[in-house]
Amino acid sequence: MSEFGGMEDLLQDFLVEAGDMLSGVDNKLVDLERSPDDRGLLNDIFRGFHTIKGGAGFLNATELVTLCHLTESLFDKLRNGELSISAEAMDVILGATSAVREMFGYLEHRTQPPAADPALIEGLRATLAGAPVAPSAVAGSGVQLPRPGEPDWELLHAAVTGKPVSTSPAPRVHGAANAAQASSPIPVPAAPAPGSPEALIKAAVGRRSIDAPGGNGPIGRREGERQRDNSIRVDTARLDQVLNLSGEIGLTKNRLNALRSDILSGRNDTETLHALDLAVSQLDLLVSDLQNAVMKTRMQPIGRLFQKYPRIARDLARNLGKDVELVLVGEDTEIDKTMIEDLSDPIIHLIRNAVDHGVEDRAGRLAAGKPEKSNVRLEARQEGDHIVILVADDGRGMDAERLRSKAVAKGLISDEEASTMDDRQSYNLIFHPGFSMAEQVSDVSGRGVGMDVVRTNIQKLNGTIDIRSQQGKGTTLIISLPLTLAILPVLLVRLGEQPFAVPLSMVREILPIDPALIQEVGGKATMVVRGEVLQILPLSSLLGWPQEREPQYGVLMQAAELSFILAIDSFAGREDAVIKSLDDFRPKGVAGVTTLSNGQIVLILDMKELLGGLGEQRGVSRASLMRKTEVLALS
Amino acid sequence: MSDPKLKFLVVDDFSTMRRIVRNLLKELGYTNVDEAEDGAIALQKLNSGSFDFVVTDWNMPNMDGLTLLQTIRRTPQLKHLPVLMITAEAKKENIIAAAQAGASGYVVKPFTAVTLAEKLQKIFEKMGRTA
Repeated sequence: MSEFGGMEDLLQDFLVEAGDMLSGVDNKLVDLERSPDDRGLLNDIFRGFHTIKGGAGFLNATELVTLCHLTESLFDKLRNGELSISAEAMDVILGATSAVREMFGYLEHRTQPPAADPALIEGLRATLAGAPVAPSAVAGSGVQLPRPGEPDWELLHAAVTGKPVSTSPAPRVHGAANAAQASSPIPVPAAPAPGSPEALIKAAVGRRSIDAPGGNGPIGRREGERQRDNSIRVDTARLDQVLNLSGEIGLTKNRLNALRSDILSGRNDTETLHALDLAVSQLDLLVSDLQNAVMKTRMQPIGRLFQKYPRIARDLARNLGKDVELVLVGEDTEIDKTMIEDLSDPIIHLIRNAVDHGVEDRAGRLAAGKPEKSNVRLEARQEGDHIVILVADDGRGMDAERLRSKAVAKGLISDEEASTMDDRQSYNLIFHPGFSMAEQVSDVSGRGVGMDVVRTNIQKLNGTIDIRSQQGKGTTLIISLPLTLAILPVLLVRLGEQPFAVPLSMVREILPIDPALIQEVGGKATMVVRGEVLQILPLSSLLGWPQEREPQYGVLMQAAELSFILAIDSFAGREDAVIKSLDDFRPKGVAGVTTLSNGQIVLILDMKELLGGLGEQRGVSRASLMRKTEVLALS
Repeated sequence: MSDPKLKFLVVDDFSTMRRIVRNLLKELGYTNVDEAEDGAIALQKLNSGSFDFVVTDWNMPNMDGLTLLQTIRRTPQLKHLPVLMITAEAKKENIIAAAQAGASGYVVKPFTAVTLAEKLQKIFEKMGRTA
């Protein structure tokens, strides 16, 4: 049973907006560590907690209000110069933002968050009190919690302005003052509680296990995020544009209707036809503008995703005793909203890798003649119809030789395979399931369950991931993604007369299948393409169709770990498909349908699902691949 | 005095909060509501539109609620506008500062439609007295 009956919508809005705000606060905290006296930053952070507190009050999230209030009071003192920021204070504050985030996790599950860790509250109070100010002042202005009841506004107003107020009796002024005093003696420890900062660091650092890709996080944030998928914040200017364009299309439709009547009633003079031509061209333009405008409503600045990373990088670097600055570039780059969510975990992983394995520790950097502080750059930019995301570090770079020998030692590749690999292929070994770069498994990374998941996730978004590395200079991971998932570039292939669409992102090349070059390896038909032995999988057998003729062409495809040749009868070119899902009816291996310009309906194949069902039994023998040839020859 | 056609301007940088206030006003029968994200935008809107009532948050970027209030009171064509301040604080200093700046009322988050109705009623009564 939800504790938020009637406030569900509000709760969703709050979580989205407050979540963004908290990420902003986290980011500003990282900046604050570098410039602790920046009043602007202090003000912004103060306002962040203040605003969250205000919203939480309406949701009756008392514990969240309490926590935000304490933190806000602390920032009030910091911005007024009554307190100055110390390493301990920073830890307490970071602990508080983590706790606020955890409380959001509870709210996402429609439950009121429980009270924050008493050690944290204690730490906040101690920090509040631990300044060169009289304890009474602290208790008087800072720690007093807002009362949900009446603020005695009328009476104070009257007292200040000297106007009489008829509604309330005078003694209430007195009562209010007493109440304020009565509420102030909140226990204020004289000194920071020993041990609490450590506990807080642990709490802050421990949080990361929740974010880990593939991690079995206890809070279940990921599930919560799924629920958030349904709403999106769109600039009203963009919606106005959609509205405007659909209005224009309506007008053009009216014009076409009128022209149709004219033509049906026998008017087909040049003028009418010219008007028709004009109206259709206009409609054409408007529809493509509308498509663009609608797509734009799904586009969100990637900064919304990026802004949570500096904090993660900072926590991790601190934990590892490194000094790392995460530099964000191109935060304004826009990307499809669904992709933003699915990119979150892979990027966290790449940043962790960069901080953990990529950059050297202080001593290592000094020995290599580099500045002590290392630099990790997270950059996004648009290149043509692709979005490119880079995670670049200035660390030690990757050692291709070591990667190869490690892969051999782990039995992932053979000695011969290793000897034929160039550097780039060697770097790609880290995407191998079960490969771990770390010599020693640390608690942050090194379990070898990361990079293959990262690559799988990127591929799910029809993207690719690549590595550039230079020893001693650093490593860059390059993610390339399509602008949107709504439009899928496909290759149209045919089986007999029936066209099918396969995602173009998986297609490496198209080649003719020469029966003379087909070899049988382990009972399976294969072909050698530039030294690589590739299985031939006829599309007909994947679909469970009878094979009616000998396949003419092969499409060299790369699906996750597997490269293979998809044998087809012919192909019809490429097309930008708009995917329509088949709601309730979903045959195996079909991702959706699209309509071609001639009105024909084409199935879009989900290659992974098609391959998955077959397991190891995928290949076909040369004879079965060629069988139809003989039948055809006989007939 | 509580004409449902009254045009409200709700000023808050937190859109969730604007929505809360808008919903509460709607509950009370006031549907003519516009929103502004901070004091500066609010002033622009106030100067270009005929608003009857301002409900503003205190803490906002660019221009905060108190500065907005002070500016309204200094501007001849706006100074008559009733301004209800919303804050998360029941702090005495804040209340006094609001009163000195000429706020018509002050309400502390969180509040219900009933509380808001009372606050509005009091402001209308006061206006009725001075008018």
